[in-house]
Amino acid sequence: MHTLKTLEKIKTEILESNSSYSEFKEKYLGTKGLVTLALKDITTIDKKDRAEYGKQINEIKNICNDILQKKKLQEEKIHTSKKIDPTAPFDINTPSDKLPEILDLKGSKHPLHKEVEIFTDIFKDMGFDILESRQIDDDYHMFESLNFPKGHPARDMYDTFWTEDGFVLPAHTSTMQNRALKKFGPPPIRVVLPGRCFRNEATDASHEHTFYQIEGIYVDKGISLANMQATIKTFLEAYLEKELEVKIQPAFFPFTEPDCEFIISCPFCDKVGCSTCNHSGWIELMGCGMIHPNVLKQGGINPDIYSGFAWGFGVDRLTMIKLGIKDIRLLRDSNLNFLRQF
Amino acid sequence: MKAPINLLKKLSGVKLDDKEIVRLISEHIGQVEDFHDLRGDYKGILVAEIKEKQDHPNADKLAIYKISTGDKKLIQVVAGDKTLEVGDKVAYLRPGSKIPYTIYTEAEPVIISKRKIRGVESNGMLGAEKELNLGSDYTKVMRLPKDAPIGEDFAKYYELDDTIVDIENKALTNRGDLFGILGIARELSAITNNKFESPQWYLDNDKKYTEETSCLNIEIKNDAEVICPRYTAISFDNINIQESLIWLKSFLVKSGIASINNVVDITNYVAHLVGQPLHAFDYDKLVNNDLKAKGTARINIRMAKIGETILALDNKIYELDENIMVIADSTHPIAIAGIIGGKDTEVDANTKRIVLECANFDKTAIRKTSMRLGISTEAATKFKHAISPDTCIPTLNKAIELIRELTEASIASDIVDIYSLPQRTKSLSFSLASLNTHLGTDLDKETVEKILSNMEYGMEKEDEGYVKVSIPYWRMDIDIKEDIFEDVGRIYGYNNIKLELPTRKIKPSGINKLYNLKRQIREILSNSGANETDTYSFTDVQTLKKCNQDPEFAFRIKNALAPELSLMRTSLISSLLTKTEENIQRGFNQFALFEMNIAHQRQLVDGNGLPIESWSLAMVICDATNNSQTSAYYLAKRYIAKIFSTLHIEGIGYSLISESSEKELPINIKNLIYSFESNRTALIKYNDIVLGVIGEFNSVVVNNFQLPAYSSGLEIDLNALLNVEQKSKQYREMPKYPASINDVCIEVNKDTQYIDLENEIKKIVNKDKLWGEVSCIDIYSKGKEDSKKRITFRLTLRHNSKTFNSNDISSIICNIEKNIREKFDATVI
Repeated sequence: MHTLKTLEKIKTEILESNSSYSEFKEKYLGTKGLVTLALKDITTIDKKDRAEYGKQINEIKNICNDILQKKKLQEEKIHTSKKIDPTAPFDINTPSDKLPEILDLKGSKHPLHKEVEIFTDIFKDMGFDILESRQIDDDYHMFESLNFPKGHPARDMYDTFWTEDGFVLPAHTSTMQNRALKKFGPPPIRVVLPGRCFRNEATDASHEHTFYQIEGIYVDKGISLANMQATIKTFLEAYLEKELEVKIQPAFFPFTEPDCEFIISCPFCDKVGCSTCNHSGWIELMGCGMIHPNVLKQGGINPDIYSGFAWGFGVDRLTMIKLGIKDIRLLRDSNLNFLRQF
Repeated sequence: MKAPINLLKKLSGVKLDDKEIVRLISEHIGQVEDFHDLRGDYKGILVAEIKEKQDHPNADKLAIYKISTGDKKLIQVVAGDKTLEVGDKVAYLRPGSKIPYTIYTEAEPVIISKRKIRGVESNGMLGAEKELNLGSDYTKVMRLPKDAPIGEDFAKYYELDDTIVDIENKALTNRGDLFGILGIARELSAITNNKFESPQWYLDNDKKYTEETSCLNIEIKNDAEVICPRYTAISFDNINIQESLIWLKSFLVKSGIASINNVVDITNYVAHLVGQPLHAFDYDKLVNNDLKAKGTARINIRMAKIGETILALDNKIYELDENIMVIADSTHPIAIAGIIGGKDTEVDANTKRIVLECANFDKTAIRKTSMRLGISTEAATKFKHAISPDTCIPTLNKAIELIRELTEASIASDIVDIYSLPQRTKSLSFSLASLNTHLGTDLDKETVEKILSNMEYGMEKEDEGYVKVSIPYWRMDIDIKEDIFEDVGRIYGYNNIKLELPTRKIKPSGINKLYNLKRQIREILSNSGANETDTYSFTDVQTLKKCNQDPEFAFRIKNALAPELSLMRTSLISSLLTKTEENIQRGFNQFALFEMNIAHQRQLVDGNGLPIESWSLAMVICDATNNSQTSAYYLAKRYIAKIFSTLHIEGIGYSLISESSEKELPINIKNLIYSFESNRTALIKYNDIVLGVIGEFNSVVVNNFQLPAYSSGLEIDLNALLNVEQKSKQYREMPKYPASINDVCIEVNKDTQYIDLENEIKKIVNKDKLWGEVSCIDIYSKGKEDSKKRITFRLTLRHNSKTFNSNDISSIICNIEKNIREKFDATVI
C-alpha cells in the first residue's frame, strides 16, 4: 500500500535512476509499473491526504515523462551516429588525403644500444657505476697498464689497429681498467665500462672489425673468484630472465690471475643442444678473472689489501643470439629495413 | 697444441675414457678446440699382403692384384699403382670403409664400394699415404714394413686407435711447458689427484754423453747472448738415414707433424714430447760450405747483417736484417734461429754425419721475427711461449739416446754447452688465508700441498698457515703467489668452488650525466619517427671529400683493413650521409637517421697527449615526398628544439653561418660547416659557445650524395651541451583568471631576426603581474622585392590578480608597439 511517504521514496529513486529508456518506462509507467500502481492506490488513501497524494503523484508522473523524453533523445543520438572502421588508418566518413610525415613514422633505437641500456640498468641496480670507453687510446692503457709488457706474445691475441701517430684503437674495453681504478678508487670500486672496440680482422657473417663490449670491474677487500662467478651469474640470470647453470674454464689473459672463460648452459635449449650453442648445450660468453696484482698497482691500489675481478663480453653476439640475427654486418649497415624492425 | 690421448694416458697413468679426459682438459687446463677419435676414420681398413699380380686387360695404367687378409680366399683389387710386387704389405680399404682423407676434405666422406673398374671387379682399394691421411704422396700405394701382421686392423697396427685432442694455443700463452705432451700429462695426473713423476731423463741435468769413436769438432760462438741464453750441441757419425718406425711416424701424424726421415723425426718427436725444439744440421754440408771451417763445424749465433739472405727449408728465400737472429757458419747464415733451418745444411737421404742443436731463444725475439717474416713453424710456436733454458740438456740427452738407438749412429763429440747465466731455482711462500680469500675457498694446508706436489712443486718447510714451494725448473710463468693460486684453483677445479655474491654497503652508484643525456635523446628521437643507427668510425679521403670536409683533420690508420677504412671520421654526419645515400638507393624516400658517437680531430689533443674525445649527436633528414618548397632546416630544428624543451635546456640561440665569423669556431665545428649551405644553416649556440651545426646541405654535397631537395641535418657536441646550465625549474602558481587571446601582426624589415622580436614581446607580456605566452602563427612577405615581412604573433595573456578588460589589452599592445618601433623600426598593423 502506498502512502505519502512511499511516494517520496519513489521520487528519489526516479531522480537517481540510470536505467535505459525501455527499462525505465516499464519499471515506472508500465501496467505493473510503480507509478501506475501508486496512481490506482489513490482510492485507498485517507481522505484528508488524498488531495496532497494526488498532487504528488501527478508531479511524479510528469517527472517520469520528462525523463523518458530525455532518455529517448539521448538514445536516438547514440544510435543515429555512423559507425567507423576502427582498424583502418581513416575511413569513408573521415576521409583524409594526408600523407604521413617523418614525425609520424616508426622511429627506433639501435638494437645494440637498446641491449646496452638493459645491461647498464641491471648493473646499476647491482650498484655499479658507468664509465664509457674511449675509441682512440695509447699503448699504456691498452697494453702496458694491463700487464702486457712490450713484445709480450699475448699482444698477438689482439689484432689491433694503430694510427700513424702511434695511438691504438682499443681492441677491448679493458683499456679503461686503469682509468676506472684511478677514477673510482679507493675501493670499493664497482664499475661497468661499455664501449666500441676494434679488431683488425676481415669481416664476414660472424666477424666484424668494429664491435661493442662491456667490461666490468669489482675491487674491494676480500673479493674472490667465488664472488666473481656469483656476480656474473646473477647478472646473466637477470638479463635472460632464467636460471642458468654456469661453468668456468681456464683461459689466458695477462691482466687477470686466475684467467677464466665464463660458460653458461644454453638458455635457448636448456642444454639439449641447438644451433645457437653448436649442439653442445653450453655457450662461452666472456673472458673473466681476478685482476692481476700488477694491474691493481698500476691503478694505484695495493694488491696486498684489495683484490678484485673483471670481465668483458661482446654485446653484438648476445644481441644477435637474442634477436636471431645471423649476419653481424647488418648491425652497422644502417639499412632502414633492418633498423625499423626494432 | 695437438696431443694423442693414448700417450697422455701412458705418461700420466690416468685410466679414464677419452671423452672424460677431454672434459678434464677443457675444465682444468684450457679450451679444447677440437677432439677427434681416429678409430672411426680407419674402420674397415686391414693390413694385407699382395699374393698375385696381373696386368689389367683394358687399361695400361692399372694392375689387378689378388691380396690376402689371412683367409684362404684371395681378394681381387684393381689399383692405379703397377709397381707393387708379390709379398708387399699394404693397407687394404674394404668395401664400406671410408677414405680417411675425404673425411676432412669433403662434405660427405667417400665410402669404398665393390665395383667394376674398366670391366674388372675391384673389391676395395689399396691406400696411398695421402688417402690414408698419413703423408703427402698419392702417386703410389703405401707399403707397410715386411713384418706387418696380415689381417690386422690397420688402425691398431699403425697406432691410430687413438683420440687426438687439440688444445687452443691461446689458452696456453704463458705455459711454454704445455707445448710438450709431458707437460699436459703432468697436469692430467694432478687433476685426477695423482702425483706425477717426470721420467728420470727429464729431471737429469747431467751431460750424460761423451765422444765415442770418431771426432767431429764443433766450435760455438754466441754473439747474441741476450736473446740466446743457452746453446747446446753434439755431433754424430755413421748415421743411417731411413724411414722412421711406425710408432714414430704415427706419433708425428697424430701431432700434425710431417714425417721426413728417422733423424728429423726423432728431433720432432722429442721436441713435441718436451716442448723444446731441436734442429739437426748435416755436418758435412756445414763444414764443406764453410770456407773457413778448417775441418771444424763452426757455429756462430749472431744477428743477421743487412743484405744477407737464406734459402730456408720451406724452399723460400728470406731477406734478413740486423733484427733477426741467425745461426751462421763462419760467414753465412745456416738457419733462422728458433724458426727454420736452411736448405744448405738440410739432413737428407745421403747424410752420414750431423750436428744436433738444442738451444734456448728469447720468446719476444722469436715472436717478432716469426711475425716479420711471416713464418709459422712448430719450433717458432714453442719458442714464442717461453721455455726454460734448463730444458736443453734433458731434451738433448733424450734425443741422443734415441738417435743412437734408431739410426745406429755413434757420438762424435762431447756435448757443447754455452750457458753463461744459469737459472736459479725460485721459491715462493704464501699464506693459506690469502689463497682462500683470492679463490673463495676453504682449503687446508694438506690439500694445497698435495695439489702442488702432484704437479711436482717442491715442498719446503713453512710455519702453520703458510705454504712454501720451490718452483719446478720448467715453470717459467710462476712469478707471484697469485700464479700459484691459479694452479691450485685450476687443479682443485673452479667448478668445485661455491658461488657467493660479494656483500657491499648500500651506497648508490654514481650518475653518469652524459650517458643519461644520450639515453634521453635516444628516447625522444626514436619516439619522433627517427631511426638510430651505428656506423663505422672508419672513413676515407674520398668520402670526406664527398662531404666537402678536409681529410687533413683525420687520424690515419697505419694498418687499415682496406683503403675505404683508412681514416678515422672527423664528423658523424659523413657516415650518415653515406648511409642516407644507400637507403635512398634502396628506395626509401622519407626518413631521419641519427647516431650518437665519437668523432676525432687529429688537431685536438688533451693535456696527456691523447686525442680529445667528445660525443656528438648527428642526424640526417630526408623527404623526397615533400615538394612544398619549404625549408627542411625547420624540420631539423623541430627535432633539436624538442630535445631542448624536453630536457629543459633554455637559452639556445641560432645564428646563420653566413653571418658568423669562422675564426672563432672550434675545430670540430669548423670542419663540419663546409658540408652545409651557409645561407640555410645555423650554428647552435649557448651564449658564445658553439654547440653544433644545423641546416641544409651544401649543393655540392647534395649533388654528391644524390639527396632530395628536402634534406637537412645536424651535428651537435653533447659534451658541450652537457655543460649548458640547466636551470632547476620552480613551480609557478597557476593563473586563477582566464586568458585573453590576441593576434598581433607586426610589419618589420626582412633582415630583422624573428627571435629578437619574439624575445622583446615576451619581455613585455611578462612584466609585473602579467603571464603571457607568445607564439608565431604566420610569417608573410609579398615577394622578393618586398623589403618587409609581416609576422603574426599569438599572445596568450593572463593577469595574476584580475580578469583583463579591453583597456588592459590595448595598453599592452600599445606598449609592444612603442617598444618595437623604437628597437626594430617595426609597426603593428
